[in-house]
Amino acid sequence: MNYLKVARISVVVSLCASPAMARDFTIAAWGGNYQDAQREAYFNPFAKAQGLKFVETTYLGGLAELKAMGDTGNVTWDLVMSGGTDAQLACDEGLLEEIDWDALGGGKELLPAAVQPCAAGNVVIGNGFAYNTEAFAAEAPKDWSDFFNLEKFPGKRGLINNPYMNLESALMADGVPLDQIYEVLSTPEGVDRAFAKLDTIKSELQFWEAGSQPVEWLVANNVAMSSAYNGRIITAKKEGKPLEFVWKNHIYNIDVWAIPKGAPYKEQALEFLKIANTAEAQAKFSAAMPYGPTNVNAGKLMSPETVKDLPVGENIAEALPYSDSFWIENYDSLKERWSNWVVQ
Amino acid sequence: MSNALRNPHGSRLAALILLSIPVALYILVFLTPLASVVSLSLDNSALGTGFATLRAATEDGDADRRAQALLTDLGAMEQKQLGETARMLNQEKTGFRSLILKTGKEADTIAPTMDGLVSFDKRWADQEYWGIIDRNIGQITWRHYQKATGLKVDANGDLTISKGDDIYLRVMGRTLLITLQVTILTLLIGYPLAYGVTNGTRRVSGTILAIVLLSFWTSVLVRTTAWVVLLQTNGLINTLLVGLKLTSEPVQLIFNRFGTLVAMTHVLLPFAILPMMNVMRTIPKSQSDASRSLGAGPIETFLRVYFPQSLRGVLVGGGTVFILALGFYVTPALTGGPNDQMLAYFIADFVNKTLNWGMASALSVMLLSTVVLLVAAARIGQWMMSNRKGIA
Repeated sequence: MNYLKVARISVVVSLCASPAMARDFTIAAWGGNYQDAQREAYFNPFAKAQGLKFVETTYLGGLAELKAMGDTGNVTWDLVMSGGTDAQLACDEGLLEEIDWDALGGGKELLPAAVQPCAAGNVVIGNGFAYNTEAFAAEAPKDWSDFFNLEKFPGKRGLINNPYMNLESALMADGVPLDQIYEVLSTPEGVDRAFAKLDTIKSELQFWEAGSQPVEWLVANNVAMSSAYNGRIITAKKEGKPLEFVWKNHIYNIDVWAIPKGAPYKEQALEFLKIANTAEAQAKFSAAMPYGPTNVNAGKLMSPETVKDLPVGENIAEALPYSDSFWIENYDSLKERWSNWVVQ
Repeated sequence: MSNALRNPHGSRLAALILLSIPVALYILVFLTPLASVVSLSLDNSALGTGFATLRAATEDGDADRRAQALLTDLGAMEQKQLGETARMLNQEKTGFRSLILKTGKEADTIAPTMDGLVSFDKRWADQEYWGIIDRNIGQITWRHYQKATGLKVDANGDLTISKGDDIYLRVMGRTLLITLQVTILTLLIGYPLAYGVTNGTRRVSGTILAIVLLSFWTSVLVRTTAWVVLLQTNGLINTLLVGLKLTSEPVQLIFNRFGTLVAMTHVLLPFAILPMMNVMRTIPKSQSDASRSLGAGPIETFLRVYFPQSLRGVLVGGGTVFILALGFYVTPALTGGPNDQMLAYFIADFVNKTLNWGMASALSVMLLSTVVLLVAAARIGQWMMSNRKGIA
């Protein structure tokens, strides 16, 4: 109950503290290297073009903040980067501004999945697994079936403490073809099958919450392999850490920019989206942070060294597009089942 | 001051006014959130107000009238309410979300009969959906408590718990177990330290006190993270163990119950030591000396003279640690594995990730009532003990 109390008090305090328009343009994003790269590629050019000052804050997913802004009418963000699922949920509840794509040039240069009613898809993220190259010097794991093979590749495994991505990976390891994953997962038998596969490695599982944990654990040898975001692993690898990311059968999803409903700087935020959608800005971002662009022309502006670390081209030849719509429908029930499974 | 001297009643009034400020503050920052948590756990106005027409139509039970009422209600909802309704119903059954959103958006174009609804989406023929709506359109709801306890009313009207549904009860049990273990550990470690501070030489007591206070003033997050660094596979302790050839391979010290207990004990230690120290300070040293001079050995003196008098401090320290530990969240999240997470972890998850404030509130109320019950039980126990002493 303490957290609720703190949350309430802080809402009250922030209500008193910030009158609506007397603040700078506020951007909420995922923090870390990710946000550093965005600052260079998007925030600074945007602020310069608009002649305004901006402040940044971090957002950790979920609808809690957006809902609080919607309920109190005190909108403290003008732009937020979130996962596609959350953006869709928030859109359905009227917590985000709808985007007039005609005013943004129709979004023809973008991937079709990036053109969303309340959000502009901006970043493609690879969710695969990584391993410590020193741990598997003789033979390296190649796909999810190796990840689930404790005999051949002994050692602890890290997975995100959530059903999404994990159930898909389990089915891939169990031999379900990529184009049938969500079909199988829509049936009770398919869900049972995924959990049965996860049961086979449960004794060695360790669950992460934050994207930085897999890197720390892999480097410290706490786990032998872990699911991870490609950007984190590749950044660590460039810093000389003995890590390798497995592209085969990874799951890629899209992070989006959205505008909270009632944001005082809505017009400027739309201008931001114009910049963020350009191939030039996205190429600049991807060069600094190894996540993929949603602008189909951005690849032409990048060096081959950059491209080989991104979830684009050859790397997504054998990859699964993450289904936001499946998880919007099924998250509640599967999360409940997951929590139960973890506790047992 | 001079005014108070001249008019004592005025000073009472002034005192009352002065007192009213902290009382009002107390009500505002403590009781109001508490009351709102309880009401959130029962509140169903989000669903209840939206389905007013349907609730009226349900009474005569005519299927077409119900279908028409449902369409009226959904059609009248704003996007925000429709989305919220869809999200809440989806917590009860997968797929409800899309059904509600789809039906709500097209409500004007659907023929207002049961056949019309079913031909729009055949899921409306499934009585399960209607049953869920019927159960959840009242102004208050017990469904969060049902989920929290896993209790269900079966077809015969009996209360049952099916296996696998009692997750939060099991987490509650685990929370109590970890809390109890941490309390015992802090007391076992804290008691000698508190004794050292009160009875040791100036130097010993000063050193111990400085260490205890230093860790007391350091952020919980920092101390927890420090334990992560110390206990991890390539951490200091494992390096030491391997270096001393005590183990051939690093031992798993963190992301399990061991790590959780170590970090929590350390974080909570000052809360046990400080009250014990205060009570021990009040025990006259001359009593121990008298006991020794009357022929009791050091152990007997401690057990019969010192320890019983220090027990009050142990109770206060232990009680403080116990109640603080029950609500722990950050430390187990960072140092524990999936089977070491306490109830607060699930509460935070419901608040932040799934926006299910009703469920978060129900779990909070469950945790709160456990504390209240335990405190009451302790009081009754104390009272019975003092009564028995009185008889003896």
